[in-house]
Amino acid sequence: MATIAALKHSTAVSALDGYFPGDFYCELLGPDKQPGRQIAPLWHTLETSDLAQLRQRAADAERELFNLGITFTVYTDKDAIDRILPFDVIPRVLTADAWAQIEAGVKQRVQALNLFLHDIYHKRQIIKDGIIPADLVLGNTCYRPEMVDLDLPCGTYIHINGTDIVRDRQGSFLVLEDNGRSPSGVSYVIENRHLMQRAFPDLMQGLKVRPVSDYGKRLLGKLREVAPAGVDNPCVVLLSPGIYNSAYFEHVFLAREMGVPLVEGRDLVVEDDRVYAHTIDGLEPVHVIYRRVNDDFLDPEAFNPTSMLGVRGLLRAARAGHVTLANAIGTGVADDKAVYAYVPRIIRYYLSEKPILANVETHICREPEGLAYTLANLERLVLKPVGESGGYGIVIGPKSSKAELEEAATKLKANPANFISQTMIDLSVAPTLIEGGARPRHVDLRPYAITGKDTWVLPGGLTRVALKEGSLIVNSSQGGGTKDTWVLTDET
Amino acid sequence: MRLLSRNAEALFWLARYLERGASLARVIEMQSSFGGHDRETGWSWLLTLHSDEARFKERFEVSAINIVAFYVTDQANPASIRSSIHWARENARALRPFIPLEMWAQLNSFHQLVEKISADDISPSRLPRVCAEIRAGCLAQIGVAEGTLYRDEGYQFFKLGQMIERADQTSRLLDVKFAQGTTSTQAADPADDFVFWSTILRTAAAYQVFHRLEQNSATPERVARFLVLNPNHPRSIGFCVREICEALQILRGTFRLSTGNACLEASDVLTDGLLRASSDQVLPHRLHEFNDWVQRALIKLTAEIGTAFFRMSMPSTDSTGSPQPNASRKAKRSTKTQSQSQKQS
Repeated sequence: MATIAALKHSTAVSALDGYFPGDFYCELLGPDKQPGRQIAPLWHTLETSDLAQLRQRAADAERELFNLGITFTVYTDKDAIDRILPFDVIPRVLTADAWAQIEAGVKQRVQALNLFLHDIYHKRQIIKDGIIPADLVLGNTCYRPEMVDLDLPCGTYIHINGTDIVRDRQGSFLVLEDNGRSPSGVSYVIENRHLMQRAFPDLMQGLKVRPVSDYGKRLLGKLREVAPAGVDNPCVVLLSPGIYNSAYFEHVFLAREMGVPLVEGRDLVVEDDRVYAHTIDGLEPVHVIYRRVNDDFLDPEAFNPTSMLGVRGLLRAARAGHVTLANAIGTGVADDKAVYAYVPRIIRYYLSEKPILANVETHICREPEGLAYTLANLERLVLKPVGESGGYGIVIGPKSSKAELEEAATKLKANPANFISQTMIDLSVAPTLIEGGARPRHVDLRPYAITGKDTWVLPGGLTRVALKEGSLIVNSSQGGGTKDTWVLTDET
Repeated sequence: MRLLSRNAEALFWLARYLERGASLARVIEMQSSFGGHDRETGWSWLLTLHSDEARFKERFEVSAINIVAFYVTDQANPASIRSSIHWARENARALRPFIPLEMWAQLNSFHQLVEKISADDISPSRLPRVCAEIRAGCLAQIGVAEGTLYRDEGYQFFKLGQMIERADQTSRLLDVKFAQGTTSTQAADPADDFVFWSTILRTAAAYQVFHRLEQNSATPERVARFLVLNPNHPRSIGFCVREICEALQILRGTFRLSTGNACLEASDVLTDGLLRASSDQVLPHRLHEFNDWVQRALIKLTAEIGTAFFRMSMPSTDSTGSPQPNASRKAKRSTKTQSQSQKQS
């Protein structure tokens, strides 16, 4: 017996054998490419872990995610298939200093975007002052004239926001995108942490990681803050498109964490501009709706008339001030890819502050200079259609063939206003467990900010990882996975 | 906020589908173990029992393997075990914010098992074991609910669905003899008769207790009375009806739901019918007629529960003025399916 055990031990491969981040910024090793004091215990645990064992534990953990139904749903022609978001066991670690910058930057950005939304639905001063072109705002498909002159509790439009942040070769944080409609993914942040604590408690030893499990409680608190005036004990519900929605698990998760009912459109009815839910004891009033149904489907009376997901009269109720919708209708104009380019100017305009988090260098193809520059440098830029999400339609110059670049140029010339281009960022990497061991894979970060009277940012956020070697596309719909994100406390 | 009507309805149907899957597994297990597979037509009474002959013959030739496939694995048959478990899971999915995670996790694993049942698995040699697994999976879900589901209004709707379906299934079981083509309970050979009714008892999980109480006298009369009237056997109709009445009383009393009066009246009809049956000397001879009455009374009760507690959740019209697609309710075997209309791109 002893010999077999010894033999096994001698052939064991460390999980970190062969990890080399190359020229990229490594999230775990930092600028010195050496395990620093703060992450030393984690590095040591990984170094002394047997690769095969760690991979076995990782596979068990993924099976658990499936059995618990922590899944998103992918549609094929025939079936709805539940998939888990692949989970990587090696966490992404953010130091207290790095986090302080992200937190302050996200708060600043959300504050500016809320002021921007209030302005464009009221006096439109920013347009009058020539900071942003009128047609970009008023001609935007996400602009909702129905919201004009409506005052919202606390002036908050974007109650729940997700900011997509990347890190370049130097380790600087840059904002890639704002998500101010219905950002998803926060449930994975918390479930990943729970999974980590259950299945890999050894990895956490020696580190002080800030908790994430109070998100539901905080969210409910913020939603109660924005209840219609005069409602003492507001009834908060989460409105979901239902079990066939790809993010249904997240809706369940959030309703459960907040302890509020998950409703579908057919559960609600508007009478005399007030919203009620059908219960076994008749109608009960509803005051705040965290809605995960898009603007278009929210109210067949006001928007898409064929919607079966919405509630007839909801806009009327919102306009009458009897119900608060979170996020508000019409926030899409603030997270539009074209408006994104103006956010640094928006921050300066409303807050008279320098942006704490910079944008990725962005060229607006609707502007002649932007178009000319983009066409001239297409092979080294990332071209993005402004109307798409989920990573679709993106052309990555350095990774495209000549034919692909020509096709992109044709599309761009046909409709320049539909595109922006950005400097190619060499995204940071983090060690990610694959068959042969830990290998560098590109990551991004989506912190979640919730806003009522003021803003709170969940420590960390969703780290998405492009599991394919060299890939920069981290979206779950295109083969991305996730990592637990650890924000270290100061005293670590 | 009080329980959403839609959640109450989903709890009711979750339990019904589980109970339905389990009962069907029991009946198929009985036939495969004791029915003798030599006669190809030995299975066709199953079609009679569920009034499925026409539906079946539209698609298949009558053969043992086709009938088994129709009731176990056929996705297109809404009454198959596979469909029942599928719809149980869909209802549970809608209930995920409400039910304990343990219920969902068990049902999710069990659903995977049922989805994987292959043609080989339902071959005569393996069928009994597969049926036993299905039975155990359904019972496990009901057990997890018993052990973890909070005892508020929602639990009463779960209980109602479970007991209404179980009473219905037991009344069908008592009708097997009729479905097999013998209207008289007096069989030609008393030995055959004994074997038959012992099998019925096994299927109703009552074999041991019946013999303990009745000292080995499985006459048709005694078995019928036991499964109709016994107040303590969890699968007898009498037991189920008592549980139904209790759940409705709790909804009205403890939870102060005043809308359930018509439901209580409909359950009183069942209680009254059972009382009359207990003093009916010729009950075993008019068993088919009685079963038919029980099943109709249960359908009426289900409709009253729907009106009182669930229907409110369904707006009468959508934006185009046409009725919402919702449950397809067939005359004899009611089914509830989640609306597919909510698919979003």
